[in-house]
Amino acid sequence: MIKNNARSKTSTIITIVVLAIIVALIYVLAFTGVFSSNLMRILLNICLYASFAVMWNLMAGYAGLTSLGNQAFIGLAGYACAVMCTTYGFGIWVAMLVGGLVCAVLAVILAFALMRMRGMYFAVATWVAAEALKTAFQNWKFVKEGAGMTVKIKPYPTNAEIFALAFGCFIVCMVVVYLLLKSKTGLGLKAMRDDADAASSIGVNIFGSRLLCYVVCGFLTGVAGVIMYISKGSIFPGGGFAIDWTIKIVFIVIIGGIGTAAGPVLGAIIYTLLYEVLAQFAGFTNIVLGIVAIVVIVVLPKGIIGSLENRFKFEILSQRRKSLE
Amino acid sequence: MDNILTFKNVDGGYGRVKILHDLSFEVRKGEVLGVVGPNGCGKTTMFNALIGLITPTAGEIIFKGKNITKVSANDRARMGIGRTYQVPRPFEGMTVFENVLVACCHGAGMTEHAGRPKALEILKLTGLYEKREIMAGELTLLDRKRLEIARALGTNPELLLLDEVAAGLVEAEVGEVIDMVADLKAAGYTIIWIEHVIDVMLKATDRVMCMSDGTDLLIGEPREVMESKIVTEVYLGVEDDE
Ligand SMILES: Nc1ncnc2c1ncn2[C@@H]1O[C@H](COP(=O)(O)OP(=O)(O)OP(=O)(O)O)[C@@H](O)[C@H]1O
Ligand SMILES: [Mg+2]
Repeated sequence: MIKNNARSKTSTIITIVVLAIIVALIYVLAFTGVFSSNLMRILLNICLYASFAVMWNLMAGYAGLTSLGNQAFIGLAGYACAVMCTTYGFGIWVAMLVGGLVCAVLAVILAFALMRMRGMYFAVATWVAAEALKTAFQNWKFVKEGAGMTVKIKPYPTNAEIFALAFGCFIVCMVVVYLLLKSKTGLGLKAMRDDADAASSIGVNIFGSRLLCYVVCGFLTGVAGVIMYISKGSIFPGGGFAIDWTIKIVFIVIIGGIGTAAGPVLGAIIYTLLYEVLAQFAGFTNIVLGIVAIVVIVVLPKGIIGSLENRFKFEILSQRRKSLE
Repeated sequence: MDNILTFKNVDGGYGRVKILHDLSFEVRKGEVLGVVGPNGCGKTTMFNALIGLITPTAGEIIFKGKNITKVSANDRARMGIGRTYQVPRPFEGMTVFENVLVACCHGAGMTEHAGRPKALEILKLTGLYEKREIMAGELTLLDRKRLEIARALGTNPELLLLDEVAAGLVEAEVGEVIDMVADLKAAGYTIIWIEHVIDVMLKATDRVMCMSDGTDLLIGEPREVMESKIVTEVYLGVEDDE
């Protein structure tokens, strides 16, 4: 027992060290200019989409909240970024913090307003809320109505710097979800994922757990959204609050594996690379992505990671509680 | 004798479908109250109302002197009500051990560290210890029923609700369950036990309530109730269904 414990501690430490080295290496490579700017852009997108997807997965895959409205966070964060930087002249750190906080507040409001609804009703309601925000921003003078806003920062961060932020954001998303699932609350979340009523009848606070997931998702989707719009340089209501964001995120999580730790990451890599390849064949992108999604759902119903984990009995970043530790 | 639970004229159901009508009864501290009644008369619904999965449209539920009619399900679990489901509802993506650990952590309010030995102890008691690392979704029906009891015990309840835990078991297994419940009663649990098995009612309960059409028809001494004319009549009316 003690031996086992020591071994698992050592392996945890080794894992952390290896991950830290990889992270450090990626940062060094990014700043020494080894990555071409094209590669950097692809990596940046992978990090940001993975962040969005990891957060959506926390809600849909664990808390049982299938949202079709996470574009509300992305759009709102984009505007928070433009307003903070362009209108008030703050830097990126303030923009990221404010973007995250504003989205966390939105998450609290949405949670209290919508969380009594279940399943499809909740999904559609979140979408409607995002559309309402879009309309509000299209008609709001302060944010230049439909004309949108540019993001002005002096000096504008380099591609390497933006990538570094995105990569950091992605790491934070992974760590936060990992720690959350490892906690007592996370144990309850896993029970909820399987059967919310049964979980509540053994004392799991369903509303509280869902609220927590919603707020964490709002905050970190917001931070990733700010970085996304720093990299884009401008925001329009139509694009910022577009359902397209969530469609991409859902695609990523479904093909990677919903309710798995690594699924959203693999999904984001596949999506971003596919998108790059398909960019050469304009017009075919959505058709091909649709076909990929259907094939994956039919062949690997739990997504790539989920199905592999089931088939070969392993779990990436497992938080399984062993009975003897 | 002290009452741990009181139902006062409770009405309730699912959406607009009313199942419980003017249901009133008391449970004494430390007793095993058997509940019988024809299929569909609302026994499971009574449990749903008691643990807070449905909210009564009228009446009151008093537990340990507090009106819990509007208290949330998770708070009731923490106050000391643990239930099993007639059709077992294990958390299939978790191991047997984790299933019980969630109950210890969330229902009994323990830390994970304190919950572990408690969960293992309950697994031994319910005969699931050897299967603790198996995914709950892979268990047989008998083991799923055991897990239902184990999970309910994990919440450290004062009032334990058993919903047909002996149904579908062979005679020897029923005997085991009866022994186990006797042990639980001796350990101080108050128990409400829904079961169609007459033997269970006669051997394991202190009192029996017969429900019919969502209300309390008769409550009293087990043999009296089981042999009373109205009860046999209600049962005979639907016996072909069984
Ligand atoms: N979730 C639900 N939604 C709507 N109606 C339900 C639901 N669950 C049960 N019912 C109905 O409520 C009535 C009472 O059901 P309940 O499960 O309480 O009966 P029961 O006494 O436990 O029967 P059994 O002995 O078969 O377990 C039945 O007519 C049933 O069809
Ligand atoms: Mg029933």
